[in-house]
Amino acid sequence: MQSYWFGDAENGRCHPCSGNAADLADRLLSLHTSMDRFVLPDWTMARDCGFCRDRADYLAKLRDVCVVIAKRRIREKYRQKDTELLQMVRTLDELDTVINLLSGHVMEWYQIRQPSFSRKYCRTPARSLVRTVGQRSVGALGRVVGDVERLSETRTMLARDVSGRADEVMPNCSALIGGLVAARLLLHAGGLGPLARLPGSAIQVLGARTALFSHLRAGTPSPKHGIIFQHRRVHNAPRQVRGRVARVLAAQLAIAGRVDFYRGVIAPEFIERAQARIDAAGRVP
Amino acid sequence: MIRVDGVLVSRGEGGVYGERMLGDLRVWDPYRSKLSALYHFGKGIDLEPGMRVLYLGAANGTTVSHVADYAEVVYAVEFAPRPVQDLLEVARRRCNIVPIMADAAQPEQYAALLEPVDLIYQDVAQPDQATIALRNCAFLKRGGTLILMLKTRSVDVRSEPIVVFCDAVSELGSAGLVVRDSTWLAPYHHDHAAIICAKERTTA
Repeated sequence: MQSYWFGDAENGRCHPCSGNAADLADRLLSLHTSMDRFVLPDWTMARDCGFCRDRADYLAKLRDVCVVIAKRRIREKYRQKDTELLQMVRTLDELDTVINLLSGHVMEWYQIRQPSFSRKYCRTPARSLVRTVGQRSVGALGRVVGDVERLSETRTMLARDVSGRADEVMPNCSALIGGLVAARLLLHAGGLGPLARLPGSAIQVLGARTALFSHLRAGTPSPKHGIIFQHRRVHNAPRQVRGRVARVLAAQLAIAGRVDFYRGVIAPEFIERAQARIDAAGRVP
Repeated sequence: MIRVDGVLVSRGEGGVYGERMLGDLRVWDPYRSKLSALYHFGKGIDLEPGMRVLYLGAANGTTVSHVADYAEVVYAVEFAPRPVQDLLEVARRRCNIVPIMADAAQPEQYAALLEPVDLIYQDVAQPDQATIALRNCAFLKRGGTLILMLKTRSVDVRSEPIVVFCDAVSELGSAGLVVRDSTWLAPYHHDHAAIICAKERTTA
């Protein structure tokens, strides 16, 4: 028996499906076709078996079914918890860039207005400096400073959200390197599924693309770490063991990513073991 | 194909992606669409009103909308959810587009929906583009045409585009397709080649 979207054909006889587009979609999703013994249907078959009146009717019905299926699949994809997290991290990193850029411009601008102003020997942190500039400036400059400050508040809030969501979506990875860095790893891998399929060696240099390709192309020294450098145990590690810490951490992250994807809950005994191994790697012999 | 003073156009409802209009004709920009670039080189086969087209890698449906202006029906296959949202919107306004959300590398996912087609157009960013094309050739009528837009950098960023191109051509050729014509799409698109193949009427 051959099953098509409009009905089943058997020994030259055909049973048309009935029902609306949603019913047809349900039936279709339960069908499994194998390519090697598949015979493509002709639309006239659908007409002859009484499924549709003419070609236009056939195409209209087919289109409705396909639209239903596509909408359903999109909804399914978006319901996965990692999809929104990806957008959140992307926005967060973009906010950082924008805030830095604007603060820089604001300072430059202010220096023009106040020729005596200099940042040298100035102990105030850059952010409060921007605020002071805002208080002393009128017009557009003051408004830009206000916007930068509001953006900074948004950024703080978003960072907290990202971290919280990452704890939910990828509990094991977050436990090892913290929510923010884990979320960035997720972004570079392109989702939880792809991250779970990455080997440790790839996770180790995720985000160090330029260095990796210049290593492959021109034979420069290979990168030791990408995004995971942002984790304190990597960037605080003594220079001579930093590569080892990065490697061990990445290897444990590869396992953690798989646990997150396939199990989705935290595995305390694994975390404990992994933490111990990463700490051991950081000890200078 | 309709040309106005050398500009490739198609006849249909405008405003799909902010394309320029010449009267009621939509300008089909070779810099935005690889298929348009191919026609600007005078290659490829003309789209005709009765044509049934299988379009793999439909993306946001911009090129699809132009193909739909010419052909009878376009089966547009796309996998990623974000572009499919746009594709659905395009398909809502053009009733000869059948949007299929499925992976072009797994034709069995959508085989039950298709019918034999006259033209397969493929533009997917995957490493195994020739293999994907061959798998989908089951849907191609005898005497039908396959236009493969080979993204050489998607196959392997490290190899020379020409090497990737030759590999693809020989893979298609050894699978029984006849490679009729091919061209690089520079200056419109870099490191992209168009390979035009025919499925012979007689061979098995």
